Parts: sequence; C-alpha cells; structure tokens
Amino acid sequence: MTAQSVDPVELAIYRSAVHSVAEEMGAALRRTALSPNIKERRDYSCAVFDSEARVIAMGDHMPVHLGSMPMSVEAAVAAMQFAPGDVVVLNDPYAGGTHLPDITMVLPIFLSVAAKPSFYVSTRAHHADVGGMFPGSMGPAREIFQEGIRIPPVRIVRGGTMDREMLDLILLNVRTPQEREGDLAAQIGACRVGERRILELVEKYGEERLGMLTDGLLEYSERLVRAELRQMPAGEFAAEDFLDDDGVDDKPIRIAVRMKLDPRAASIVVDFTGSSAQVRGSVNAVRAITLSACFYILRCLLGHDAPATAGILRPLTLVTPPGSVVDARPPAPVAGANVETSQRIVDVLMRALAQAVPDRVPSASAGTMSNLTIGGIDPRSGQPFTYYETAAGGMGARPRLDGISGVQTHMTNSLNTPIEALEYAYPFRVRRYAYRSSSGGAGRFRGGDGLIREIELLAPAQVTLLAERRKFQPWGLQGGEAGAPGRATLTRAITGEVTELPGKCSVHVDAGDVLRIETPGGGGWGALAEGADGGR
Amino acid sequence: MRTAIDTGGTFTDCVYLEQGQLRVLKLFSTPSDPSSAVLAALARIRAGSAVDVRHGTTIGTNAMLERRGARVAFVATAGCEDTIAIGRQTRSQLYDWFAPIPECIVPRELRFGVTERVSAEAEILRRPTEAELQELAEALRASNAQAAAVSLLFSFANPETEKRVEIALRPLGIPVSVSHRILPEFREYERASTTVVNAYLSPLMRRYLLDLEERVIAEHHGGGVDVMQSSGGIVSARVAADEPVRTVLSGPAGGVVGASRVASWAGFDRIIGFDMGGTSTDVFLADAKLGGVRRTRESVVADVPVSVPMLEIHTVGAGGGSIARFDQGGMLRVGPESAGADPGPICFGRGTMATVTDANLLLGRLDAGSFLGGSVPLHPDRAEQAMREQKGVLPTAEEFSAGILRVVETEMVKAIRVISVEQGYDPRDFTLVAFGGGGPLHACALARALRIPTVLVPAMPGALSALGILLADVVRDHARTVMLPGDSIIDLERRFAELEQSARSEFVTEGLVGEAEYSVDLRYAGQGYELNVAWSALAPMNSIAGFHSLHQQRYGFSEPQKRVQIVSLRLRMIAAAEPYVPDRSDPVAGDGSAARYAERPIYFDGRFVASRFYHRDQLTPGDAIEGPAMITEYTSATVLPSGCRAVVDGFGNLVITIGDAA
Repeated sequence: MTAQSVDPVELAIYRSAVHSVAEEMGAALRRTALSPNIKERRDYSCAVFDSEARVIAMGDHMPVHLGSMPMSVEAAVAAMQFAPGDVVVLNDPYAGGTHLPDITMVLPIFLSVAAKPSFYVSTRAHHADVGGMFPGSMGPAREIFQEGIRIPPVRIVRGGTMDREMLDLILLNVRTPQEREGDLAAQIGACRVGERRILELVEKYGEERLGMLTDGLLEYSERLVRAELRQMPAGEFAAEDFLDDDGVDDKPIRIAVRMKLDPRAASIVVDFTGSSAQVRGSVNAVRAITLSACFYILRCLLGHDAPATAGILRPLTLVTPPGSVVDARPPAPVAGANVETSQRIVDVLMRALAQAVPDRVPSASAGTMSNLTIGGIDPRSGQPFTYYETAAGGMGARPRLDGISGVQTHMTNSLNTPIEALEYAYPFRVRRYAYRSSSGGAGRFRGGDGLIREIELLAPAQVTLLAERRKFQPWGLQGGEAGAPGRATLTRAITGEVTELPGKCSVHVDAGDVLRIETPGGGGWGALAEGADGGR
Repeated sequence: MRTAIDTGGTFTDCVYLEQGQLRVLKLFSTPSDPSSAVLAALARIRAGSAVDVRHGTTIGTNAMLERRGARVAFVATAGCEDTIAIGRQTRSQLYDWFAPIPECIVPRELRFGVTERVSAEAEILRRPTEAELQELAEALRASNAQAAAVSLLFSFANPETEKRVEIALRPLGIPVSVSHRILPEFREYERASTTVVNAYLSPLMRRYLLDLEERVIAEHHGGGVDVMQSSGGIVSARVAADEPVRTVLSGPAGGVVGASRVASWAGFDRIIGFDMGGTSTDVFLADAKLGGVRRTRESVVADVPVSVPMLEIHTVGAGGGSIARFDQGGMLRVGPESAGADPGPICFGRGTMATVTDANLLLGRLDAGSFLGGSVPLHPDRAEQAMREQKGVLPTAEEFSAGILRVVETEMVKAIRVISVEQGYDPRDFTLVAFGGGGPLHACALARALRIPTVLVPAMPGALSALGILLADVVRDHARTVMLPGDSIIDLERRFAELEQSARSEFVTEGLVGEAEYSVDLRYAGQGYELNVAWSALAPMNSIAGFHSLHQQRYGFSEPQKRVQIVSLRLRMIAAAEPYVPDRSDPVAGDGSAARYAERPIYFDGRFVASRFYHRDQLTPGDAIEGPAMITEYTSATVLPSGCRAVVDGFGNLVITIGDAA
C-alpha cells in the first residue's frame, strides 16, 4: 500500500490524534514534575515514534530536542532487547543524548502478539542537577566524566516494576535526589499516558490501518518540505560564524557550512566540513544537536503548524566531520553545546540561507542562552540548593520588521522564573530585571534589545556562567549593524570592586556580592538611510 | 423585578421573572451605546420601579481586543519597570521568524520606578522618602496618564509602601489600581499584568457602569445595577467600576452558569459544555459535586495574562465560519481562518471559500427555510458549485463536505479532551450540553467519538447566558499569599479571621448577607503549581488529606510523606441568589408527529439517509424521536444520527441517548 491510499481527511484526523498524544504527555509531565525547571520553565519535550523509531509526533515544546530525541530512541532500540513493561532511561550524549542534564525515557509499546514494539513514546526533561564537579552540571568541565552521571540506555522499569537499584544508583550521584526522583517518576508517568493513548488509537484504527496512516503522515511531511525546497534557488551557499572560545583558552571556534540547494531534486545538502576540531571546553556538540539545528531550520520554512515528523528530514543530507565541534567524540565535554553551540549552528545555517532567500531570513538573534547556575547552602533552611536559568536576549531584525526585545529565540523557549518565586526558593535578591536599551543593532529594521538582570547573593555561593557572543556579535544582514555583545560583572560587597566576568567561568561569591548579566541584542536588518538617527 | 440583560455582538438578550415565570426578550444590540438597548429592553418589559438589573457586558473584552483602554501608567519597584513588557520572555510561535512584535499596553514612557524594597519575609528593606513619592507623582502628572497601576515586589506580604504610593498619587485625580488589593498573590508579572488591565479598563468601565446605573435609577425610580464577573458570580456596579478586571469575560461566564443550571434541573450534575459559534468554540467541564465549573487563575485575555478567578473555559478557533482548504502537502485543513460575518460562508451569498456551514448545508444539515427563522436566505446551488470546484482529490462535493465535518469535529474532540482527559476526568462520566448555533449540529457525533452516553440540548439555547446571569449568586473573592509550612494549617484561623473581617464589612456596605467559604492553595514544597482545597477551622487537617487525594486524581500520584506548603488563603463571600426552579410539565409519551414537517435526506457515514424534520417549538414534553432526524429551531438545529434517540423532558430540553450507529 502506498500513502496515496490515505485520503486527505483521514490524514488530517490521524495527524491531530497522534499530535494530541504528544501534547497530553507534555501536559501530564508538566503537571506532575517537581522541579521549577520543568514545571515553570517547561524545559522538556514529548514525542511518539513508530516501530522503526521514526518520530511521528512531537509536542511544541523545545526546538533543540527536535532532531535529538529521535536519536535517543534509535540508540535505545539499538542497545536493547525490549520486553513489554520496560522503560529505558538514558542521558549519555555519546549514546543518543545531547548533554547530561537532559534525561530521556523511552517506553516501547507492544501490541498483542508482536515480537517487537510497534510504537515508542519518549519524554525528555532538563534536570536541574545530575552531579559532576559543578552544581547544576553545566560548568566548564574538561572531560565528560566531570559533567555528571553518565547513563547509557538501561532499563529503569522492568516488566512494569521500577528497578529500585538502578534508581538508587542514579540518585546517589546527584545533588538533589528527592527532586530528581520526583521528576523521573513524572517522566515515566507521562510515558504511560502516551502508551494508553496509543493503545486507544490501535483499538480505533487497527494495527494495519495505523501503519498505513503513519507512512502517510511521514510522506505528507516530506511533501511539505520538498514543496518548499522546490522554490529555492539552485546553488551552493557557504557561511561561517564563530563561538568566542571554549572557556579554556582564547581561541575562536569556527563553524562553517556549505548548503547545497537543488530545487529540481527538492533536496538539501548541509556540509559542516571545515568546522573546528572538537575542543577542550564544554561546547562540543554531538551530531544529534547539529541535526536538531537543521530540523529547526527546515521546520521554520514550513507553515507554523506543520507536524514535526521524521519525514521532514528525508530531503536532507547532513555531513559532519567526526571529531569536530559539530560531531564530537568521547570523552569531550559537551554540557554547553546543547544551549550555546546549538544556537551558533542555527546562526550559521541562517547566514547561508540568507544568501539564497534574503527576504525570508532574519539577522542573527542573541545567539546565547546566557546560562547561569548558582549553588550553595540556603541559610534560611540549612539545605543545599541548585539554581539554573537561562536569560533571553534580542531577536534579530527581520526583513520588514524590527526584532523583538528580551525574548527566547531559536532553540529554546523556556520561561523565566518569577522574581518572587526565586526569592522564596533561593537566598537571592533580584535588583534589576530590565531591557538593555540600545543593545539591538541599528538598521532599516532594528534588532531587538537584550536584557539586564542583577542578582544580589544573600549567602556565599558558587556562580557558574556559560555565555557566548562576547567577541563575535550577533550580525546584521543587508547592511544592518551588529547587536551589542553580551557582558557580565561582579560587584564585591566588601571592596566595592567591579570585575568583568568572562563568558565561561565559575567563581565563588560572598553574601552581598552582586552579579550583573547583560545579554546581547539582535542584529539589525538593512542599511540605514543617509542621515537617519540610528534606527532608534 | 429581577432582570438579567446580556449584551452580545448581535443581540441583547433579556431574561426576567414575571410572576414566577421565566420570560425572554431579544433585541438588536446598539454597539455605539450598548446601554440604550439595555434601557430599551427594560422599557419593553415594563420593568417598573425599583428594578434589579443584572448585566453582562462585552465592553471590557472589546476594549482589550481593540486596545482601546486608558493611557495607563505603571509603577514598579525601581529596577523592575520593564517586567510588565518582558513578561515570561517567551515567544508565542516557536517556528515563525516573522511573528509580530507584541505590544505592551504600558508603553515605555509610562513605566515608573519607586526606590523601595520588601523582602520575601515581608520585611521592608527600603522605604521611599516623601520627596521621592512627590517626585513620582509629578512625573506621572507630566505623563498625562489617564489611570495608574501600582505593583511592587512582595506588596501582598507587606502592603505599606504600596499604600503610601497610592496616597501620593491620589491628588492626580485619576483612578489608581494597587496590586495588593486587586490580586494579593505572588508571581509579580501576573499580578502586575492583572493590575494594569484593571487600570486600563477602569475609566471606560466606570463611566459606562455608573452612567447606566444612574439612568436606570432615574427612569425606574430606584433599583440598581449588578454585573456578572468572569468567575460566574455577581457584584454591584460600584465594585465592578473599581475592579473592572473581574468582569472582563462576563458574557461567556453567564453561558456557563446558565448551561450548568439548566442541566442540573434536568438531573445532570456532571457536564461538559460545548458552545460552538461562528468563529470559535468554547468548551468547559462542570462537576456539581466539586463545586461546578472549575475556576482558573491562569487566563489570558487578548494576549494579556489576567489572574483573577475566572471560570475555566477552553476556546478553540474553529466554528461554523471556519474555512477549509488543502495545504501544500495535500492535507485537508479547517480553520483557524474564518470567513466571519463578512464575507461569510459561500451559502450566505458573498463568501467564496468553503466553510463548515457550507458543508453542513450540502449534507442536508441546514434547513434553509428555518435558518434564523428564514430571515437569512441561503444559496445552496452557489455552495454546491463552489464546493465541487474546491473538493481537490476527493471524489464528490459531499465527501469533501463530510471530510470538513470530520476534521472540525476532530478539533472539537481534542478540545474536550484537553478539559477532561488531560485533567484526569473520563468524558464517559459526563453529559454533553450543547448550545450556540453549531453545538447541537455536531453534538451527537462528538458524543459518539468520546463515548459520552447522553447529550442535552437545553431549552432556550439563545438566552442561556442571560439566564445564567439571572440565576447566579453574588460572590466576592478574596485571597492572600502567605507561603507557610504545611504544619501551619492548624493555625490559620487568625489569618482567615482578618481576611473575613474586611470581606464581611464590604458585604455589609453593599447591604448583603452572605456565607464565607474558606480554601487554601497547597503544593508540595518545591512545586511550581498549587491546588485549591477547602479549609475549615473545625478540621483543618482535612485540607492536607484533600490535597493528597486531589493530587492523585489530577496528576496520577500523591506523596503523603512529602512536605506540603501553604501558598495562599482564599475566601469567597457568597450571597445566594433567590432559588428558582422552573415549572416542570408532566411528560406525555408521544412521537412528535405533530411537529414533523418534512422528510429529507441527510448525509450520514457515506450516504444520504431519509430523515424526518421537526420544529422544536412544536414538540411537547414526552415526545420521543428516533434518528435519523433533525430538530430545527430559530438559532440552531439538532442533528440526530440513526441509533440516537431524543426525548423532550419536562422542561423542554432535548435529552438524547447516544446509541451505536445502525
């Protein structure tokens, strides 16, 4: 049977049904998780896969998980002989993960007599701490062994029963075991919600019909993306951009791409040959992240409600040199790549694409998640705490439109933690949370402004910063100016001394010290007219 | 005389009690001055003196949608002036590079800071000096603001500074909304946003409501005006004029209360409401045992968060006017684009794009003769030709139409799942209450898909909202974030007493007598969301037990050994409305043949099936009708597939039993 036998109505109904499975899993996870990172900031994703581990539905959660979750499921399938009632857990970036804080659960769904699973459902969530040398597990490590507990695909639930020994092993290696346990349980619960819903679909459609509909849905996505590619100009478009450094030495890290568009074949080749070799600091991306960035770009070219399925990737050939910063090999540290390098890969892809279709591509956005991790002991309770949060920046200006200020862009869309929630939970006082005026790049259309966040620490703590776009500013297009670079300072309470903090560092601070983070503005679009006032 | 008047986009509905009888009057709305239709209705029904008017209005909603509120100044803790614009720093469309720039209702030049700070422990760390407050007042004066919103960090924990700011701004003579009174709860952005919306609507609503009340009193020698709140309770016009944010969704709230009341008279306590209109559809879930429709404090009105209690209504952008098309990948899509009222569906004469309404017409589910009493001429030939041209790869215009209905019904099923399954409820335990122009057309199909056993199509579907307003209780909600350990649950009495004292004195000022309902918002320490459970001084520990079991029900697990946190105290003051139960006629078994006026084909499951057509207003209690059939009325029509059976109950409702398709 071919997908042509799936009519446009059946397709629409199936798409909606399977998408709502992923959405219901997400709702369950959000409601049951313990940590603010999942509940308030919504740093998670849920997805449904077919028997060949091809993604057929993903909730609209975190773009950075788009291409990388499928690789987790593939890795779990490759490593495991699944039995009914199993749930597999993993976070190893070198076996299907992205960075260690992102823990993925995979639940296989067996139908009546089948020997192998007919579907898989999966949840991924960013955990606030998975051990390692820095609280929050996002610090400037030198090898992956320092970044936290590494979990290859292993069973955490066997035949429907939690493997307590496996769970204890994981919990013993993290700083906030109770919270982790709650979040892991929530992830398993969300997988079970997905399982129930898939079984309902099986009952409704029957297995054979479901297989046809799934093929039809994948081919539908492929048709959508090929229709876009057919409208692209033919040619090869090269671009490069740089990460400031790896936090170990000062050397810029090059990410280079050659994007080959072939409208006749409706295909796209993305080749990262020429990118820097993997580095000592933690910004090395595994291939899953690079694939996610490509997935994101293709997804953005489609209508905003196109389903994110494996079909989207069919016209794509991705070339990544092994051992490079876009396809790292063990034991390179990787914590920062999910949040920082992923953004830069998107920037490079957009820069290349802007040459092909200049009127469809915005200038560079902030290009960093300005990750901040703070750990210590809360003097009010005597308990240890770990805080992790990202800060938004300026969006790049668009052809015909200014960029938006102080907003999450591209690979993330996590919410901020309310100041009052923060001060209840941690020994901090937020002194300032504001737009960073004039940080957006000037141009015919102006880049969005970044943000300023000032936090006074009320107890001694370890502050870890992982930020980018200090040296290489978010670029403008068509003559638009670059956005202002990011910046961070620490004001010491005792001496009043103000020190500039590098983008990637971990420092000990005392009670009363004030940390100030300024996030980059977006690039401008289009040259200013002669005699204009700078676009402000 | 007790009267409820609900102003809608097209009609102003008036429901009133005359000698114990419920009566309905429909007038055309007067958008340029909505109060003239209100006064006209009162005149028409000869309301006489001392009339008690309860009102539902869309003025607030429309001002939000059209951004026509006041020029509002926002006063925040210095350093946090921009938080009202930054919001939660997310984007609404994940994959749209060309999303429009969200516009904050407080422009940059109207954001002001005051040098002050309160800690999480309610301690004042920095007080503004009198000179600083004077300076602030001067800056506001110079800004030409028409209203002000003050929301300082942790003001709910210690309102001293907010009160001082309020006093300093008083000489400006503009309405000032302060956050510790509008929403004394934590999470600064949502509190500030709610306070700003209040200030934004305040001049407009104050003018409208107080003017209306004055005219009612003048023309009817006394009486007064009360207003429906988004929470489903009534407040006086004076309170509503001060706190307009509480009434911003008063129309839909009336519909929910009305539908719930009608269902409960008919003996259905657990309902899922389904109100399908032209461009959007509202769904809600109500369980009388759990206090009716759930209230939420996470609403968004016209893209702005509003955190006062509102009935939890889930809206999807699909309705009768939703446009069908095939996308680039060849999939049939329905909505969210809508043909609206202009040009409208193809069959109305001007539209050119296939809509849900056109599909219903082609499949025999719209009766041209009885549609809006025949006042809107339909053009079936026009629709049929256009649908044939737009059917894509589908073999016939009928299959195209059937596909459109299946797709739109899938969206509706999904919406109902969001409010039921996703919240831990099984739709099979509920009755589907269908109203709005499109609700009864699609209800049986939805019920089948969700395995809901019974559908109720209420009598008076066109006036449910006004009916709800007429029957609603007077309610005032009070709250305070306290952030206490769970052990303190046994000594909340003093805190509740404080809350109750001010609440009662306010009730007394209004001349009301009422009961207080206590509840607490609890969460497991470390969680980011709270659940609301009842609290009583006699058995406070029951709240904790109730929390664990609610957590189990809603989220599938509970952890009784874990630490619980008391986030907020809530107090509802309720003055119950005079009870009203409509007359019930004794059903006399019949087959409705007196109301039957035609036999025509309706398309079900791939073919046209001969179906009987009935006039609803000629059916009498006890009449039973077997599908396939259609029951038409002024504003809607009920489609009864084969296997379904409708019985007219003693109140004139259609109670439909959903059987398997024959």
